[in-house]
Amino acid sequence: MRVDFGKLSRKGLLGAALIAAGLAVIPFTATTTGLRQSSQIVISVLAVLGVNVATGYGGMISLGHGVFVGVGAFATGYYVDGLSLPWLVAIALGALTAALSGALIGLPALRIKGIHLALVTLGLAIVFQPLSKRFPKITGGVSGTGIDAKFVSPSWWPSDTRMATAVYRYLFCILVVGIALWATWNLVNSRFGRGMRALRDNDTAAAIYGVDLVAARVQTFAISAGLAGLCGALQVVLVPFVSQEKYGPQESLVIYATAVIGGLGTIWGSVLGVIARTVVGAVGRAAAEVDGFGLIGEFLDLLDEAPFVFGVGLILLTFLFPRGLAGIGRRKQAAD
Amino acid sequence: MDLVLLLQRICDALFNSAIYSSLALALVIIFRSTGLLNFAQGEMATFTAYIAFVLLSGPQPRLTGGGLAGLVPGVPLPIPLAITGAVICGMAGGAVTERALIRPLGRAPDLALVNITIGLLLATNSLMAQWWGTGPRMFPAIFPSGAGQHFNILGARLRYSTVGVWAILLTVLVLLIVLLRHTRTGLAFRAVSISPSNAELVGVRVGPTLMYGWALASGFGALAACLSANSVLLEPNMMLRVLVYAFAAATLGGLDSPKGALVGGVIIGLSQTLIPAYVPFIGFELSVLPALLAMTAILLVRPAGLYGTKRIERV
Repeated sequence: MRVDFGKLSRKGLLGAALIAAGLAVIPFTATTTGLRQSSQIVISVLAVLGVNVATGYGGMISLGHGVFVGVGAFATGYYVDGLSLPWLVAIALGALTAALSGALIGLPALRIKGIHLALVTLGLAIVFQPLSKRFPKITGGVSGTGIDAKFVSPSWWPSDTRMATAVYRYLFCILVVGIALWATWNLVNSRFGRGMRALRDNDTAAAIYGVDLVAARVQTFAISAGLAGLCGALQVVLVPFVSQEKYGPQESLVIYATAVIGGLGTIWGSVLGVIARTVVGAVGRAAAEVDGFGLIGEFLDLLDEAPFVFGVGLILLTFLFPRGLAGIGRRKQAAD
Repeated sequence: MDLVLLLQRICDALFNSAIYSSLALALVIIFRSTGLLNFAQGEMATFTAYIAFVLLSGPQPRLTGGGLAGLVPGVPLPIPLAITGAVICGMAGGAVTERALIRPLGRAPDLALVNITIGLLLATNSLMAQWWGTGPRMFPAIFPSGAGQHFNILGARLRYSTVGVWAILLTVLVLLIVLLRHTRTGLAFRAVSISPSNAELVGVRVGPTLMYGWALASGFGALAACLSANSVLLEPNMMLRVLVYAFAAATLGGLDSPKGALVGGVIIGLSQTLIPAYVPFIGFELSVLPALLAMTAILLVRPAGLYGTKRIERV
């Protein structure tokens, strides 16, 4: 695969500058609620990035990444409340727990491939809700549980009003997501990342060239689950409440759809996917406000439903731009 | 162990077995001919159950969802007619899906096929939620299912509805076998299932034949949804769990074996009722877990299942 660094960085820099500018404006204009919602959008990049690492780089289709988000959230809540660990430790351990569960679930992926793996992970997404209800001590059972410990700003932070705390959380999330994006970028361009991609394209050839198939597959799945788990951990930072209701199968599928729509196999694609989801959400809400017009009005109401828009988007993009939004400007490569 | 209770549970399980077999057959028909797992099969089936529901309830805008009210016939149809209508709509829907979404892709990678079916699943699911609401709806029973309406077998009750569902399923199966063995279309379909390129060389029109396959499969799906809507209550996510059972059944039997789908459906149906009954941790709701574990284990150890074709790959 030929990567044109000069062109990539110029376009990438422009995009990054635009996003940074957008993110910098938000704290000055939004309310605390708006700030929390913006933070939630920012951290959702992590879950999408997780799918991207497993599916886009590792070639293992995962329809169940909502599960790892859930594991990360439940685990973080438990560590910070049940074990009274400090927040930063709890977040790290939460992501680690999700990564371990990912490694465990990644084990079948050693033999189960392609569409069959998609089937198993879809089953996982469906089984997660009833399963998590079985561990009420950690998950709060059917109705969920509040987390008593709150993630507050440290003493050196200038103020401890609600707004200042919200800004602190917002910046913390951006920092973590930024680090995760940078680390993943380095990872996929490292020796390990090249092995991962070789594995995706032709595992026999990769094995002949010395890639350890077992280790590479399990590690890839663990890293991807860890990223999703980190998203779950940060969800607890923003809203100190965990509940199985947030982690239904549709949630997993929307994460998958976002990753595909953004573009698999590029880090930038995950960010684009989340931006697309946000824009579509805003447009959809506006469209749903329009009442009347009979059938047209009903159709406009549908645009407010993220699963509908993303389901249709997934189908359209598969036909029009198989490489996702990130692949629109790019020349078609021979490998596809 | 209480033997009568065990027999009773087996009798109860047979109802679900028929539903899982039916949906598993739908999955197998499509997998056999196109090598594609249709993740949207459950949602497509649920949609047809809603169509049956609309046909049954007559012109009531509140029930049918505003936009559809005009399309409904003026009088409520009797149940058998409504279900037949729904199955026909389902078959048409399946054929259209194949023609519009699957055929244009050609020989696409797994990822593209997964994307299409997942997109279809998400879109159909939220379309149903938007039109008919997420609340469960009462769907009338097809067979008498009151208190005393059952056969007695050694002290256990075998309900009429169970017998009825199996009668329908077996009748349709016989029709399917006749169709596959004794008609030109069936012959063409079998040829395409074995090898699309060879079938094309001897003059079979592969595209339309696959379209028949999709129509058949969606018909089985529609039947499964309409027959089970009474017992699981009609709601947009109705078939999501059933889909896992059906996939487990299809995998167990062998993803390309119709006979396997039938046997797998029976086994999964039995285990889905018996395991929660004897293992307290796995209550009714978590009975998806054993099915998922079984499916994973089969894919790991013996991907061909009980009756499937073993795949040999050359590197």
